[in-house]
Amino acid sequence: MPGVFKDYAKNKLKKPAPLKGIRVIEVCTLLFGPAGPSFLAEMGAEVIKIELPPAGDVTRSLNPFGWFFKEQGPMFMHINPSKYYMALDLHKDMAQNIFKELCSKADIVEFNLRPAVTNRWNIGYEDIKKVNPGIIYIEKNGFGQWGRYAEEDRPSNDGAAQALSGYAWMSSFSKRPPLKQSIWICDVYGAMMGEVAVLAALHHRKRTGKGQFIEMSQSENIMRAMGWIWPYQQMTGKGAEPSGNRDQCICPADTFLCKDGNFAALAAPAPDEFKGLCTAMAKPELADDARFKDHTTRLKDENALAILKIIAGWAVGKTADQIENLGKKHGFAATRLHNAKDEFEDPHRRDRGFIKEIDDPLYGKYADHEIPIMMSKTPPKHRWTVRPVGFDNDFIMTKILGRNQAQLDELYTHGVLGRWKDQQGRRPPPDWDGQSGAILRR
Amino acid sequence: MADYKRAKWSAWADNIRSLDDPAHNFEKPEALDDLVVIDLSSRSMAGCFCSSMLSELGAETIRIEPPGGDLVRTYSPNGIMVKDTGLAYLQEGRNKYHVTLNLETEEGRDILKSLAAQADVLIETYPAGTMDKWGIGYEALSEINPRLIFASISTFGQFGPESKRKQYDYDNVSQARSSIQYATGEVLPEGKTVNDVPHAVPTKAGPWIAWAVSGTFAAMGILAALYHRDMTGEGQAIDVSTPEAYGRLNDYQLMWYGEAGVINERFGSLDTALWLYGFYPTKDGGVFLGGLRLEMWKAFVDIIGKYDEWKAEEWTTLAPFMKKDWQLKYQSMIDPLTAQYTSEELTKKSVEYAKSGRLAPITPVVAEIVSPWKAMQDENWLDRGMFTPVQDPVYGSVLCAQAQWKATETPPRTKWACRPIGYDNGFIYLKYFGYGPVKLKELGGKGII
Repeated sequence: MPGVFKDYAKNKLKKPAPLKGIRVIEVCTLLFGPAGPSFLAEMGAEVIKIELPPAGDVTRSLNPFGWFFKEQGPMFMHINPSKYYMALDLHKDMAQNIFKELCSKADIVEFNLRPAVTNRWNIGYEDIKKVNPGIIYIEKNGFGQWGRYAEEDRPSNDGAAQALSGYAWMSSFSKRPPLKQSIWICDVYGAMMGEVAVLAALHHRKRTGKGQFIEMSQSENIMRAMGWIWPYQQMTGKGAEPSGNRDQCICPADTFLCKDGNFAALAAPAPDEFKGLCTAMAKPELADDARFKDHTTRLKDENALAILKIIAGWAVGKTADQIENLGKKHGFAATRLHNAKDEFEDPHRRDRGFIKEIDDPLYGKYADHEIPIMMSKTPPKHRWTVRPVGFDNDFIMTKILGRNQAQLDELYTHGVLGRWKDQQGRRPPPDWDGQSGAILRR
Repeated sequence: MADYKRAKWSAWADNIRSLDDPAHNFEKPEALDDLVVIDLSSRSMAGCFCSSMLSELGAETIRIEPPGGDLVRTYSPNGIMVKDTGLAYLQEGRNKYHVTLNLETEEGRDILKSLAAQADVLIETYPAGTMDKWGIGYEALSEINPRLIFASISTFGQFGPESKRKQYDYDNVSQARSSIQYATGEVLPEGKTVNDVPHAVPTKAGPWIAWAVSGTFAAMGILAALYHRDMTGEGQAIDVSTPEAYGRLNDYQLMWYGEAGVINERFGSLDTALWLYGFYPTKDGGVFLGGLRLEMWKAFVDIIGKYDEWKAEEWTTLAPFMKKDWQLKYQSMIDPLTAQYTSEELTKKSVEYAKSGRLAPITPVVAEIVSPWKAMQDENWLDRGMFTPVQDPVYGSVLCAQAQWKATETPPRTKWACRPIGYDNGFIYLKYFGYGPVKLKELGGKGII
């Protein structure tokens, strides 16, 4: 559909956002919580991120091997764009009341706290429902709101979910210890799924006026994505075992070492693809070999290992780029393994606007991901990056709740509203001019 | 309910359970039961996963396969088939009506157009340009039905310099292209080569996570587009590229390279950006240990009896521990200590420490690294309804992972696991076109269904 997406990145600004008019309040920290609302923010929702002053979100401290961008954690910037930043001490009654006032004017509220903490703060679902019966209220955490693990108050995080779900176990090579993913998969995948839940609830509200309470456990969420493993275990009575880079359900599908020391992944399960691969290997007779005659036969473990060995022997005589090009020529799926540099430099991802230059009043220019959903009529837009703790307090309090300066001063005096601690990641970047990015200035 | 010591806040737990226990899902309404979804996924589980989510939320989902069935039916470990279906599709056929339709024929495409005219959402995973070539691309179908939301999932997307490639989307290839596989895996020991240590290579995740992620982003886009359509009446095209979608889940390596020129490399089961955060050996397997705040790390050191010897009292910041050399140094000191305990002993120590440790209630996260076999038998998940088998009219009792979340008003639910190829031709063609047995026989004879 070349016409529909013509000059997509360039024309984005001429089009509306899909979630215009939706207001979201988040009380989230680390990744599982905050990563979700930012997807809504990029789709045009007004997202107000509420942090506890003065330290705020823990992710502000995280960094790869000590590297920060202008004192800020790069992962904090990656998962929290296009939000408004408010710092409200929810331990205090007055803050809880302000929170309820905000929720009465919101559509969605999101938390990732231990179970029952919202209840202790008097902002549990029933409390908020009283002020806003249509509210869509989601709590995401390790184990949900009930059940043994939840009630044991077990702490959790992404690594724990990778461990407890069986995901890490299934992601190593055979006979090797389970392998942790380099990304926080259960956090961000859970965050995405939370927004699917919220948007479906929004459709229901549109039809009926009814809101709802949603709870998500990050271990349960990732288990849903583990597919065939569950009926396999039920039907064979055996535990599923990992198989490294070999896909056990698709053959051939694996990653191969190449002549240049790079790696290439390929997949060719369909008859036309497999034939193309055999031709590329200059072994067309393999397509007629009884062991490889159709996909189901090829998937038998002994046959799968046999064909993968043949492919490995061939691949190591080619460069990864050659294999990718042979895939193009002969109609099977293949790619050279990409790394961060490839991703950053790839003209394709730039052309699509998936990787874009950010131009932020506090943090300046840098490249980051756009949300990977290209929408022809309502393209999502990454607009600005993160803010210091409590940076937009005055704007939110004035715009939404109509508080005047004297009232705000009182709230600061009582520690209800707060601002950043003088600490890396919490305060503005070192080169900040004291004004840029502030919506209400005094 | 399973037998365990109740929390102080058990009344809250009981109340939430009374509102969202999945045992009562079928008493509740469905969020998307006003929608009709057409799923044309070809060779890709991303599209099937996307339509599963919509069908679990109540959308009437019509899964269209070519007359011989889609290739995804054959995806199964060791080639195991249950009737005509592999184990993978026994998960993602859920709640869908299965019809056959030959899109290689003019008449087949006409039928698709008529169906699209009556639908709300269409999902397809062909190489870009295929649908247009058949005359059933977004431009053609939106003329028939301007309200249609048309979602495409592919490796290279619908536009951009690489989008002309004709390859189908496979999970392992998209994981490789995402730049995540590159940075995941065991580290090659110094002085060794890949030939010596063939498992110390860039390693993909076992499950089809790239597909699950692109399918989920597509579902998010579809629901956002639905909101826009509710406001304006207009549908639209949605384009998701699987390597982009999965690559979006990497939270720092793009900036790290762009601003510091550093390429993120493998770091085994430690974490380049976090401490304490990694997998450690135990007597009977291994555990995940997590303590992202200084106090949690100190609490862990206390649990393993090294608080005084390592002078934990004097630590004022986590910063030095996050550096690579310190991570490796402390890993080698921790490994022999955790190896003295079983995973269960360490887990219990952490729960206990939260009550009576010197830094209580602060305690590290300790989680046993379990096999999926063990996970499937974990009473906590069973009690929460995660693995309630589906009683399928054709395939019998099928164990499925149940829905991703629980909800008070419109929880997702699984009604059936799958259907054989063309099983619903009679019902769906009658419902949408009034085609009875005579017409279906005629279409069958011409190879259209």
